[in-house]
Amino acid sequence: MHDIYSFVSGPLAWVAFIAFFAGIMYRLIDMIVQVIKKEPFIFTYMSLKYSLRSIIHWITPFGTLNWRRNPILTIVTFAFHISLILSPIFLLSHVTLWDEAWNISWWTLPDGVADIMALIVIAGSLFFLIRRLTQREVKFVTSTSDYVILAIVAAPFVTGFLAYHQFFGYPIFVILHILAGEIMLVAIPFTRLSHMIFSLFTRAYMGSEFGVIRKSKDY
Amino acid sequence: MKKGIIAIVAVLFVSAFLLITAHSQEDMKVVDRSVFKNPQKFSSVFKHEEHNEKAKIEECNECHHVYEDGKLVDGESSEDRRCSDCHKLESSGREPSLVKAYHTNCKGCHQKNKKGPVMCGECHVR
Repeated sequence: MHDIYSFVSGPLAWVAFIAFFAGIMYRLIDMIVQVIKKEPFIFTYMSLKYSLRSIIHWITPFGTLNWRRNPILTIVTFAFHISLILSPIFLLSHVTLWDEAWNISWWTLPDGVADIMALIVIAGSLFFLIRRLTQREVKFVTSTSDYVILAIVAAPFVTGFLAYHQFFGYPIFVILHILAGEIMLVAIPFTRLSHMIFSLFTRAYMGSEFGVIRKSKDY
Repeated sequence: MKKGIIAIVAVLFVSAFLLITAHSQEDMKVVDRSVFKNPQKFSSVFKHEEHNEKAKIEECNECHHVYEDGKLVDGESSEDRRCSDCHKLESSGREPSLVKAYHTNCKGCHQKNKKGPVMCGECHVR
């Protein structure tokens, strides 16, 4: 178990973090290169004002008509994403390990709060799964990869929750938890989880087109 | 006068007894976490005598080290002090915080020797 733990928390963690950050850089540069090559004219109407209008409305709960139309989906989406992003970054156990490895540390969440956030992510994943299985309009655009991506996101939280509570098989769940986190980090730049980086650009583009070209009040 | 002496002797005996029981290593089962205002983790399981027998540790200063100006002082040991006398709740400069000092000391040795607990919940047992 020592060797496996040392491997997944050592070299494999390096690989995952490097793939994550390098992958994000690559995808961003690639996006800009593609736009310059294929559709450079969009730069003529990209607007900071309309970009921000779109981004700010969409990151505000109930800030758009679409968010207001599906209140339950809106609440779940926001609770899910906030918990998903904040809990791993501000988890005491994670910060402790980064402090030991890299001498960096910052503010941390109380464990009890992080525990609830993990449950929110797990419940949110179930909600999205059921939604994909039952809602006709969602089912229609769902493929196998959507389920795989959902599993990749849920796995670190399920294993983390089980490990934290030490219900059973503690060392196994810690190792599975680390592996699951690493798989998710690597998957972010190279799957549709890349909406983590691209959603801002998508909104900026949509906002600019609606504001500058269509002169619409929509964003 | 006699009563006074008896009283002093009695107090000395009682305090000596308390001191011995309070610091008895045989009785140590967990690491004291009372310095933390709002501890988030369970106390680390640590049976002092059992650990040292298993790990074949003879010298106190293998764990109870003394550092001066960032350098390990050879032959000196610090088992007469509390870890928290030197290691504060926050790291400062090269001096690790109390938590970090424990983690580095315990986990570091366990990883080096590939023996003993290394994962959070293996020490912080619920």
